[in-house]
Amino acid sequence: MTLFVDILGGLVGTFFIISVLSMLWKDNPIFRIGQQAIIGATMAHYILLNFKSALNNAVLPMLSGTWWLFIPLLLGVLMYTRLKNDIAWVARYPTGVLVGVGTGVMIAGTLRGQIIDQAKNTVIDLTNSVVSGNMTGMINTLLIAIGVVTAISFFTFTREHVGVLGISAKIGRIFLMVSLGANWSGEIVWYLTQLIGRLSWIINTVIKTMLLGG
Amino acid sequence: MSENKSVTFWEKLGTIDYRWLYALSLLFTIIPILHPLGLPVQVSEPTKGYCEAINKLPPGSVVAVSFGASLALLDEQEAQYLATWKILFERHMKVIFYSTYADSPLVLQKHLGSMVKPEDYGYTYGEDYVVLGYAPLGESGEASFAQNIQGVYPKDQNGTPLGEIPMMKDIKDQSGIDLLIFMYTSCTDVEWPVRQWVVPYHKPTIVATLGCCGPMAAPYYPTQIQGFLSGSGMGTELEVYSGNPGPGAMMSDAKNLGILPFLLFFILGNVSYLGKRYAWGKSKEVK
Repeated sequence: MTLFVDILGGLVGTFFIISVLSMLWKDNPIFRIGQQAIIGATMAHYILLNFKSALNNAVLPMLSGTWWLFIPLLLGVLMYTRLKNDIAWVARYPTGVLVGVGTGVMIAGTLRGQIIDQAKNTVIDLTNSVVSGNMTGMINTLLIAIGVVTAISFFTFTREHVGVLGISAKIGRIFLMVSLGANWSGEIVWYLTQLIGRLSWIINTVIKTMLLGG
Repeated sequence: MSENKSVTFWEKLGTIDYRWLYALSLLFTIIPILHPLGLPVQVSEPTKGYCEAINKLPPGSVVAVSFGASLALLDEQEAQYLATWKILFERHMKVIFYSTYADSPLVLQKHLGSMVKPEDYGYTYGEDYVVLGYAPLGESGEASFAQNIQGVYPKDQNGTPLGEIPMMKDIKDQSGIDLLIFMYTSCTDVEWPVRQWVVPYHKPTIVATLGCCGPMAAPYYPTQIQGFLSGSGMGTELEVYSGNPGPGAMMSDAKNLGILPFLLFFILGNVSYLGKRYAWGKSKEVK
């Protein structure tokens, strides 16, 4: 049996979904109410959860003896000095630590995993498909190899794009456009999925199950 | 500007009110929601790789799930999540869930609490699975997690110290984990498991992400990641391949139909552009 609270929740959810979708027609006060309510609720949730995370993972352990946790806590607090212009420079210290740690953590993996291994796999895949006589694999890997080389050449800015480099850069641009097109089509389908998900929830959960008791 | 200026057919074609697109798309998506069509689904190789990476592990293997789900994007990935939980539990894997986004604990609570209950598969909390809760990890957090789990998550989501949880007594770092499932919503995050799990530890890794992030995950398949899912389409494929029906089937039907108006408008837009550019039928002006 559906509880009154569930029905109320369903109706409120439906109102907010429709209020956001109403933007498809044109900007209107209902859209703005929905937008602001959703942003407000989301921010409240994020702030509360991150506060709780800092409390449980840093403040409480620090108070119970892990004294050195005051260092990351202090760095975190220093971030807020940005809010006051005359001491905003202090925030550069925690930012520097963040950038330094981030770079240090990622640099080794980037060189090996994203440059060396990727280049290696491009060549190995091509060689393997040639050796095995797999025609489809050969075409596929050859396309990838050409795409990698020409797309990289597109980003070579130290020489003018003329001659061989010019031709290569033009081919690279086509590969880049195909890649961006694939990303963009994925994006369109993703937006559509969001719409379908919400419509499905309104139709199947709120109307059919909650209101009609189906 | 003259009010009597005539517009060509191509200009008119290119300025059709965009709200027609929305109206048509709404109509086309509602039909399969009301009456599912059951359109066939072809399972792709990355989806098979994703599923097989789990299937080939012996029962009792430890799987870490880095769960970066967002409530706002849930419709795109829910089919992936639910099918993955079912496969893991059916195969009797020991699962460590840890959330890297603020929304993720809510999603996990809903899934494990009512939709795919581990207890229905004979699971006991703390012995067969554990939920470590939320920590704003980032890439450096992922690196720390691989080196020292308790350093990042000293307690589980219920506040129990990891040392007191039976399943976690022998699992201190990545060496106790047999497979990483990395679920994320920000396209470039695919680089995190590659840099922090695959390169240093050669850890078998599979990833699940949004539809638009698929092209960024693909270069790492199959040599660096064993499989990947992108979007609800591949979530549906996983449902079909693993024999675990879920929300993906209806979603795929609706997407297949809902995308048609977009395709139509893409064609119209391009025809309009080319018509204007090459001035086809310039003499035929319409008012």
